[in-house]
Amino acid sequence: MFRTAALTAARVARPAVASAVRAGVARPAFVQAVPKVAAFQAVRFYSAGGHLKKDEVFSRIAQVLSGFDKVNDPKNITETAHFANDLGLDSLDTVEVVMAIEEEFSIEIPDKDADQIHSVDKAVEYILSQPDAN
Amino acid sequence: MSALQAYRHLMRAARVAFDGDNRTLTAAYESIRRGFRENQNVPANDPTIAPAIAHAEEVASFLRSNVVQGRKDGETYKLRIHQDTERGDNDTIKLGNQTIKIGGEQKCCSA
Repeated sequence: MFRTAALTAARVARPAVASAVRAGVARPAFVQAVPKVAAFQAVRFYSAGGHLKKDEVFSRIAQVLSGFDKVNDPKNITETAHFANDLGLDSLDTVEVVMAIEEEFSIEIPDKDADQIHSVDKAVEYILSQPDAN
Repeated sequence: MSALQAYRHLMRAARVAFDGDNRTLTAAYESIRRGFRENQNVPANDPTIAPAIAHAEEVASFLRSNVVQGRKDGETYKLRIHQDTERGDNDTIKLGNQTIKIGGEQKCCSA
């Protein structure tokens, strides 16, 4: 029933559009502006790979760290920086950094994994291994 | 149970308990930080360490399960009861005037 209704609507609509074109009335721009493929891609599927890129993860972690006032020098934030040795953070600060990273990527890191994260590259690696991180 | 874990649990519990209330949340973070910083130079084998960590863990579980936020909505308060909030079933009321020791040896109800 829905199908027949749609068909009727289309049949009725087509002559109207055609006559509008013939009469020189500009059709709404968006009708032409969106090509078929782009319109299709505008819909994101659950199965679409939402994987984070390594550079993106690093830059977001670097941003979290640069907002942390205990980091000794923002210039020290590199891809391999160690939280304690290079950034001058102590163990309590490290816990807070890891929690801030959790919040940034909206995941919860279990205790045993969180205790292993002591450097930027470890954090990047962990985030990349988490399918839920976004 | 390490101090760092207690610190993390406490921070997380504060985040659960004071979600969306930035002023209280910041104050809670600040007070947690202060508490841990005060004792950061206590040697690991000091006898006061274990009770202090146990205290931190207890505070964390209290914040998580026994603190509920309320927001005034006209005449009434709306409570934000979340999944970790403790919900007692008041079964102890059936035991009459007995004194109940929580976590003690006395068995209660179906336990």
